[in-house]
Amino acid sequence: MLKIVVPMAASILATEFVQAQTEIIGNVDSKCIIVSETPGVYGNPNPYQLTTAPTSGGVQPIIRFDVLAADYYKAVIEHPVSFSSSPTLDDVVTWTGDVEVSEVSDTDMSTYDSDKVEYDNAHEYQMTVAGSTWFKISSVADYGYNKSFPAGQYTAVVEAECIPL
Amino acid sequence: MHSSLIKTIILLCVSGYASAHELTPTYPELETTFVKGVLSTKVKMWNARADVEYYKIEVTNAFWNDVPFITEERIFKLGYMQRREIEVFLPEDTTAQYICTRSMLEKGSESRSIISSKVCSKIK
Repeated sequence: MLKIVVPMAASILATEFVQAQTEIIGNVDSKCIIVSETPGVYGNPNPYQLTTAPTSGGVQPIIRFDVLAADYYKAVIEHPVSFSSSPTLDDVVTWTGDVEVSEVSDTDMSTYDSDKVEYDNAHEYQMTVAGSTWFKISSVADYGYNKSFPAGQYTAVVEAECIPL
Repeated sequence: MHSSLIKTIILLCVSGYASAHELTPTYPELETTFVKGVLSTKVKMWNARADVEYYKIEVTNAFWNDVPFITEERIFKLGYMQRREIEVFLPEDTTAQYICTRSMLEKGSESRSIISSKVCSKIK
């Protein structure tokens, strides 16, 4: 009888031992995704001005940054300072613009705007919280001294960069 | 923290619906190759931007200056929702720190997109 019971008991114990060793392993990698949510459109409220202001017929571009882990990335967003395509222009274009956080997935991101670093036309944000952040960009181009923009299509580029720290 | 992570994972899962650009891993490592003095690393890119089908690879040092590198195509076509593995070869004494992919916008494109995206990986 013992000849049967002992191996059976050993077998059960061995099985339990193996089950106790079974592991589930998961990895959460850091990752940054730039999502172009809304392409911008310039409104032309005055002959000399192109603006993304919604009150002037424009649409502000919105970019979303998704980061899966905190403190791995910084986001750099540059508002335009030149046209990437336009009719021939023979006078100076004065550019102004801004970048601001428009929506967040975590309330801890509420300090992003006050903590950002600005240089030239770049706005640099440290992505210190995991989650999604929506950035709204405004851009205004004034031509000459109240001079009318020539007719045609104008395109300017917003640069959005995600850089590991 | 956990709820935030879950929200992010959900967002990442559905983000393909919008217009996204991703490059992984964050910190690729250089490996030796069968060619003496040549190192290589691989990154993966995912294009979910329907308005962009060409991307450019840039390899720079810590000061964002270009450094010499070899890859199959520096400017490549990547269709909507497609992935691509990019292998980059570097000399042994390279100062390369960042590998980046930048979206290339077509001049006069009807989409008139004004958002250029650039995602980088940092070499460990």
